[in-house]
Amino acid sequence: MIVRILTEGQFNLPGAYIDELNDIDNAVVEVVEQEDREGFAKNLKRMLDLVRQNGTPVPIEELVESDLVLPEPDITLEEAEEIFIGEGLIPD
Amino acid sequence: MGMLSRMSTIVKSKMNRMLDNAEDPRETLDYSYEKQLEMLRNVKRGVVEMVTAKRRLEIQAKKAQDNLAKLDTQARKALEMGREDLARLALERKQATITELDGLDQQIAGLELEQQKLTNAEQRLQGKVQAFRTKKEVIKAQYSAAQAQVRIGAALSGVSEEMGDITLAIERAETKTETLRAKAGAIDELVETGVLDEVGGGDSLDRQLEQISASATVESELEALRAGLPSGNKKALPGGQS
Repeated sequence: MIVRILTEGQFNLPGAYIDELNDIDNAVVEVVEQEDREGFAKNLKRMLDLVRQNGTPVPIEELVESDLVLPEPDITLEEAEEIFIGEGLIPD
Repeated sequence: MGMLSRMSTIVKSKMNRMLDNAEDPRETLDYSYEKQLEMLRNVKRGVVEMVTAKRRLEIQAKKAQDNLAKLDTQARKALEMGREDLARLALERKQATITELDGLDQQIAGLELEQQKLTNAEQRLQGKVQAFRTKKEVIKAQYSAAQAQVRIGAALSGVSEEMGDITLAIERAETKTETLRAKAGAIDELVETGVLDEVGGGDSLDRQLEQISASATVESELEALRAGLPSGNKKALPGGQS
C-alpha cells in the first residue's frame, strides 16, 4: 500500500497496518470535532509515526500513485477543521 | 476513512488531469512534462519570495534590536536630567520593542521552517520530473498504442500527485508569506510614526531630551560667563542692563 505524507513524500506501508490507521483516523475525526488541540497533535503524530516507522520510503525515481494521503505534519487544528467542514477546499 | 479520504480527495483535485483529452498519448507526455517544468519554476519562485520576506523581517528585527540600546541610553539621560516622565516613556517603548522583537523572532523561525519544506519539495519534484523525462522517452521509443496508455497513465499519475502535493505546499507558503508581508508592513508603519524610531529621527522624545540638554548647556555657559566677569558688573547681569 502506497501512503503519502503531504510535504514528506511517499511510503510503502504493509497492508496489515490499514486497520490501525483506520482506528487512528477515527480518533482524529473525534478530536477535531471536540476541538481538542492536544489530542489532535497526539493522534496526528501517532498516525504519521506509524507510517514513517513501518513503511519504507518510495524511491524518488519511482512514479506511483498513492492509495492514501495523510496530512502534513504541521497541519493546525483549524486547518483540519476546514478540511472537514470546508467543501470549498475541493474544487472540480 | 475520515481525514484520510478527504486528504486524498483534496490532493487529487489538485492533480493535473491531462490524459483523457489527448488524441496521441505521446503528446500528453510532452505536455505534462512542460507542466512539470513550469511547476518547478513556481516552486523555485516560491522559495525566493520566502527568502525575501525573511530578509525583510530580519532587517526589522535588527532595527528593533538597535532601538533597545538607544532607548536605554535615552532613559538614563532623561533620569540624569531629572525628567522621570521621559525616562518612563523611553522604558515603555523599550518594553513594546521587546514584545515586537519576540514576535519577529518567532516569525523568522516560522519562515525558516517553511522555506526548508519548500526546498525539500523542490528537490523531490526535481527527482520525479527527471524520472518522468526518462520514462517518457522510453515510452515514446517503444510506442504501441494499447500498451502505452497504461504505462503513460501510471507515470503521469505518479508525477501528478507529487505536483498536487507541491501545489498545496505552495498555497500554504503563499498564505503564510502574505500574512507576514502584511505584518511587516504594519511594523514599517510603526517605525515611521516613531514608536520604534531611531535617535535623531525627529522623534519627540529625542527632541525633548535634546532641548533639555541644550538649555542645560546654555545655563552652564551662562554660569561660566558670569564667573568670568569683573566683580562690579556681576550685579548688573540679572537685570540685563549692563
